[in-house]
Amino acid sequence: MSDEYIVLKEISKRFAGGVVALDKVTIDIRMGEVLALLGENGAGKSTLIKILYGVYSADEGSIYINGRRVDVHSPTEAIKYGIVMVSQHPQLIDTLSVVENLALGLRNFNAFTSIRKISSFILEKSREFGVKVDPWEKVWRLTYTQKQLVEILRAMLLKARVILLDEALTYLPLEEKKKFYKFIKEFTAKGGSTVVITHKIPEALDVADRIAVLRRGRLVGIVEGTSARIEDVRRMMFGESAAEITYEKLPASQPGGRVVIETQDLWVTGDFGEDAVRGVDLRVREGEVVGIAGIVGNGQRELTQALMGLRKASRGRILIDGRNVTNRGIHEVREVGVGYIPDSPLALGISIDNSMAENIAALYQRKSALINWSEVYKVASSLIETYRIVIPGADSLIKVLSGGNIMKAVVSKEINYCKKALIAHNPTRALDEVSAAMVRRSIKEKAINNGVAVLLVSEDLDEIYQVSDSIHVMNSGKLYGPFPPDEAERSKVEHLMVI
Amino acid sequence: MRFIVVRRTKPHQYIKPLIIVLSLLTGMILVAILLVLIGAHPVTTLVTIAYSFITPQVVKDMLLLTMLGCALLISFKGAVWNVGAEGQLYVAIIPIVWITLYAVPWSASSPPHQQVLVILASITVAALFGAAWGAIAGALRAYVGIDEVPVTLIMNYVAYYLVNLLILGPFRGRYVYGYIRTDDLPDAYKLSINIVMQRTGNAFLDGFLEFIRAIVYYAYWVLAAILVALLTWVVFNYTSIGLRIKILGSNPEFLKAVGVDARKTILTALALSGSLVGIASAIYYLGDLTRLTYPIQSQTASYGYLAILVAWLSMLELPLIPLSAYVVSSLRNAGRNMQIFGLGGLESTLILLGSILLTYSTLRFLTEYEVRVVK
Ligand SMILES: Nc1ncnc2c1ncn2[C@@H]1O[C@H](COP(=O)(O)OP(=O)(O)OP(=O)(O)O)[C@@H](O)[C@H]1O
Ligand SMILES: [Mg+2]
Repeated sequence: MSDEYIVLKEISKRFAGGVVALDKVTIDIRMGEVLALLGENGAGKSTLIKILYGVYSADEGSIYINGRRVDVHSPTEAIKYGIVMVSQHPQLIDTLSVVENLALGLRNFNAFTSIRKISSFILEKSREFGVKVDPWEKVWRLTYTQKQLVEILRAMLLKARVILLDEALTYLPLEEKKKFYKFIKEFTAKGGSTVVITHKIPEALDVADRIAVLRRGRLVGIVEGTSARIEDVRRMMFGESAAEITYEKLPASQPGGRVVIETQDLWVTGDFGEDAVRGVDLRVREGEVVGIAGIVGNGQRELTQALMGLRKASRGRILIDGRNVTNRGIHEVREVGVGYIPDSPLALGISIDNSMAENIAALYQRKSALINWSEVYKVASSLIETYRIVIPGADSLIKVLSGGNIMKAVVSKEINYCKKALIAHNPTRALDEVSAAMVRRSIKEKAINNGVAVLLVSEDLDEIYQVSDSIHVMNSGKLYGPFPPDEAERSKVEHLMVI
Repeated sequence: MRFIVVRRTKPHQYIKPLIIVLSLLTGMILVAILLVLIGAHPVTTLVTIAYSFITPQVVKDMLLLTMLGCALLISFKGAVWNVGAEGQLYVAIIPIVWITLYAVPWSASSPPHQQVLVILASITVAALFGAAWGAIAGALRAYVGIDEVPVTLIMNYVAYYLVNLLILGPFRGRYVYGYIRTDDLPDAYKLSINIVMQRTGNAFLDGFLEFIRAIVYYAYWVLAAILVALLTWVVFNYTSIGLRIKILGSNPEFLKAVGVDARKTILTALALSGSLVGIASAIYYLGDLTRLTYPIQSQTASYGYLAILVAWLSMLELPLIPLSAYVVSSLRNAGRNMQIFGLGGLESTLILLGSILLTYSTLRFLTEYEVRVVK
């Protein structure tokens, strides 16, 4: 018996507007392996996975499972073959409980699994993972990590033999991510296969048995995980542009005297009525980048939303450019010229059913009754060019873009918009390394060249260190610091994140 | 060989109009089969239905429904469901009755420019009244959080009763012995062009000439329908409010995040929608209705409700509004003609409508999916 479990043979897929997402790609997935699927934003990774999962159908090519040619026309069929996908965005029904969600998916497959059995399965597994999940909790109350765990549990209940992870682990906190990777290692040791898509190359090298690289819809090559060198993989992914990847500290700003973003004893209530932000005093001067490090869920989201006027402050004051904007609504904040890269880009950052031009117009032409489209298209094409957004045209709907390119559209429009301040929460999520490096550079340039005050909130400590002029740590709603960004004190910062 | 359904990744250019036409044909054939089964002559049946698509009668309904369809599109695009066109239509007529009969009545000594001014004023005021009626529901949805669907629906009845009260009271006609209705609109204020055509004796030619007559008669309506459609197009493509409404419909959270007041947008969408209904209403009253009869709820032609169908059938695409307006008005006429020709009563009309809508709802999935044959 060959150990090639699944073979995707000469798969091609074209989308509207002449976009060639995949061009004769042949990849095999072997039993008991972790296969990392890498490539720059828009390379065709998600498309390939979706074809295997039956979401899209290939224009050409075929899929073999155990040497037999099969047609996978829907996820239901894929699941019958033991293929389960977990994506970046949990596909759960918010108003149902965890058990109900899992039971729903099982209905078609093994009808006799009882609710009680599922619930004890959840309890057992969540203990094993070390991520607490109450089976009877409604899904909307779960954290991101809990939701992703539920997705993994679903895959297990469905008796998956192949798990496809499309950036599913990317946004997990480091500790929990390790637990998930450990699970994957065990799963593959027992003969299962996993395909992992990620933009964190070191992580891929660490976990993968083999690495397949796509570029502009073509397979560049497949290399062994153990022997692959990071520079070679990057070169396969990006070609010449790989040289642009840098994690070196960017030049420091010369902050002016004027304080642009200021909070005084700020308290903000979270979604469950808890004090998510507890007495935060923060000052960001013009031309300065202040970083806030911390593990997800420590009040960063509530803090940035309150700063933008999207969430009420229960106590304290917020001053932007000297104006008291506390609880005045986002309108007042935007008025000052504040750019905002939100933590949930698909909800607050962009409207995917509208075109890139319309999304830009919504923000840039807020105040005029008539829209000056030639202005808008000028901005659009300059953003598309500068940020190398892979998009058929400025009038294409955002939803046809790849995940990373959607993020580039969000980020570029906000960075270019900000005049006084930029509030950026995980600005490089979903971006490939080249794009991420470019975004970090342009954030810094905005501060240095235009005197914009930047508040950078990120769960990626390297990113914080690369860009920031001073660093805070947020933990349990409290802000610590500021600390200078020299590596000497890094252990102190890391310690504050986890206490 | 078997059929499989896969998600469409390259949109089909003509699929939407095709679906509308296809459901129409299927519906007609289904009804014809049904009627034949219960004993009607197949040819008579098909001819009657087919005839309804080319009678001059259709011109008027189609023009009016195009305007109303555009009006509803403005709110529907924002996922704001204005089902209150019927009420907005009649409320907007109230000030026109007052202006044309009481405030500035026409007399032999009236200066000629009064005619134009009164007509223009009527249209303007009707737009304002329609807007206000829509804005009430808008304010309730935006600031109190009450769903606009029941509100706009209930306000249709409120409008009926308001109009009834006026007809019974202050607006009751002086020259309409025996009827409870308002006096007829003075001829000078009528918005229609009447031409007389000689009959030629050739049935085909006469039919054609009748069509021309209808189009000339409703020339102002053609103009108004074009203007309203143009206005809607401009709103959606060149104005901030149009863009805001579209984003309100696709991602209201993002709308808020750019600093736009989503509640104001909801209010404006309903007001704007109501104002276009008001304009259509003025054209309808000045060009065709010319008086209000008690009780209005049993006199109404229900254009306000048909318009919902038009907007829905168009899949919220402006260019398809005239096509679906045409389909809906033809169906309305087919129903009427089937009754006239003794092909069953109301039920056959309803069957016709039902089967078309059924095929339509079934075929609609083709916009998102395609069917492929595999060996
Ligand atoms: N539904 C669609 N309609 C049209 N084009 C699409 C669609 N889905 C993807 N594409 C295009 O196909 C190409 C590949 O997209 P894909 O999502 O596979 O990229 P990716 O490798 O997953 O990138 P990322 O790292 O940004 O997620 C892109 O150019 C994208 O714009
Ligand atoms: Mg992707």
